[in-house]
Amino acid sequence: MAATTAPAGRSSGVGGLPGRRAGPALLFAGLTFYLLLPMLAVFLYSVATVWRSQLLPDGYTLEHWISGLGDERLVFALLRSLGLATAVTVLDIVVVVPAIYWARVRNPRIRTFTELSAVIPFALPFVVIAFGIDRLAGDFVPWLQSTPWILWLGHSAIAFPFLYWAVDGAMAAAGIERLSEAAETCGARPRQIIREVVIPNITPGLVAGGILVWATSFGDFALAQILTGPNFETVPIWSADALLQTTGKGNELAVITFVTFIILFALSAAIVYWNRGHTLRLLPGAGAMERTEG
Amino acid sequence: MASTSTAGAAGAAIAPAPAAHRRPFAAFLERWLPALPLLVLVGAMLLAPGVALIVGSFVGDSGPTLDNWVRVFTTRGDQLAILTSVALGVVVASICTAVGAPLAWLISRMLTSRRAFWLSLLNVAANFGGIGLGFAYFVTLGNVGMITLALQGFGTDFVPPRPASFAGLVIGYLYTNVPLFVLLTIPAMGAVRDDWWEAAQVASATRRQFWRRVGLPILSPFIAAGWLLIFTWTIGIYGLAFALAGTGAAKGVPLITLRIGQTLESDIFNTWRASVLAVILMVMAASSLLLYRRILRWALRWF
Repeated sequence: MAATTAPAGRSSGVGGLPGRRAGPALLFAGLTFYLLLPMLAVFLYSVATVWRSQLLPDGYTLEHWISGLGDERLVFALLRSLGLATAVTVLDIVVVVPAIYWARVRNPRIRTFTELSAVIPFALPFVVIAFGIDRLAGDFVPWLQSTPWILWLGHSAIAFPFLYWAVDGAMAAAGIERLSEAAETCGARPRQIIREVVIPNITPGLVAGGILVWATSFGDFALAQILTGPNFETVPIWSADALLQTTGKGNELAVITFVTFIILFALSAAIVYWNRGHTLRLLPGAGAMERTEG
Repeated sequence: MASTSTAGAAGAAIAPAPAAHRRPFAAFLERWLPALPLLVLVGAMLLAPGVALIVGSFVGDSGPTLDNWVRVFTTRGDQLAILTSVALGVVVASICTAVGAPLAWLISRMLTSRRAFWLSLLNVAANFGGIGLGFAYFVTLGNVGMITLALQGFGTDFVPPRPASFAGLVIGYLYTNVPLFVLLTIPAMGAVRDDWWEAAQVASATRRQFWRRVGLPILSPFIAAGWLLIFTWTIGIYGLAFALAGTGAAKGVPLITLRIGQTLESDIFNTWRASVLAVILMVMAASSLLLYRRILRWALRWF
């Protein structure tokens, strides 16, 4: 009826309750178009011979994929990004899991500090954090400046909240306090409890949070540019350089951008699978909603 | 004799002391050790750098000063950058809210398999940003981008918005921020229960009435919170801004983030400007986030 004219019933705020109406269909068609078209364009660009004057490329070739994935500089940048993101994820798991576990079973006051800490990366834009770290490092630990180590620590610091919320939610869902108490009664030591009781019970949260940490590090440009720049060329740094050079690198840039898409798709599907259709990104500090969401 | 016995007594008196000292320390470790690595990481990599910037913004060549702040607020370029960043944040957050809120509602009411599909797609878009997205913009909407070529092929004289323009930045920013808004607000949509709509229908309320009297009043704090979060996020975006508008030395759009980056690249001896701009950005983002948490805490009473 009247609702079919306005897209998703804009006049009445959000859309209506379930039903087949034209508004929502249009909205989702538009969304699909908006989200997929750039991906399609990047893919076509990566296999185009020449693409100058029509909707589709003039011809197709795999040459850019072969030359791109054979380019030593690009491959090393990709390997650096993969390695860095993995190292960041490992460090975050190692520092975050024990902290949350201890806050739950021994010392609730830890939580006051960790909750506040987890908000900081949202309150401080990455470019600000990067500048601050660089300045501080220059004053106190100049030998760390511009090294991969400082980027590793910086990425771990900006990305840890994703893991924190996911793991905290998983521990709440698993009722880790009681499990831990039971294990303790059986004489298990803390380290043993974490390894054999806690970790197996929070795997979905650990995987989903870990993936978000990984993706944050893999895609970061602000810290990478300001902290290390060309001294430790990651994929975003390589891409920025390729984008600034007006000659020739466009097709290889398309290749690596599309590779990034594929990686993100795989990770995203994994997150949704592990969370069984639940959303993962939460409004920071809105843990209560996660438990009631259906 | 006497002296030795005093020494012995003193020794006996001292002997337990180290243990007594060690005990509170051991107790402290017992309570805090597993959390210390995380707190040290946050302190060194997030807190200390923030403090260093604040201090740096008030220090000049000859000690403490307000000159840096005065100079930034009276420089035309800096004023423009601050205004443009805020305007961009407001526009992007408002569009995200207008488009994202209906989407979040509809997706929250989908069956699991369809919802999983949209969540995956949105997750990719929300995580895809920075330089790669900037490049995708050029390939899609640039001078020889796919859409440009297609529209011109149909005989229109379509001219795409320049990437380094306000409109260009808005289009680019929306790509990650609309999905982010949707993902962030989907859980909140559970606050409106389906049986309330049934109850409203029994009372012969129209859809419009239901939303105006029941749905929106409950959801509006969450939607406002989403707006604030996207605003906070938008004013801090650096990679995408750099790709779209950062190349021509800020000929395109002046933004706080780009100006910080440029100062660090080219003007390493005048980092006071970057410090002040960084603190301004920090204050805007932090106060927006604080307000967000206020609103959210108040809204969560519905759960």
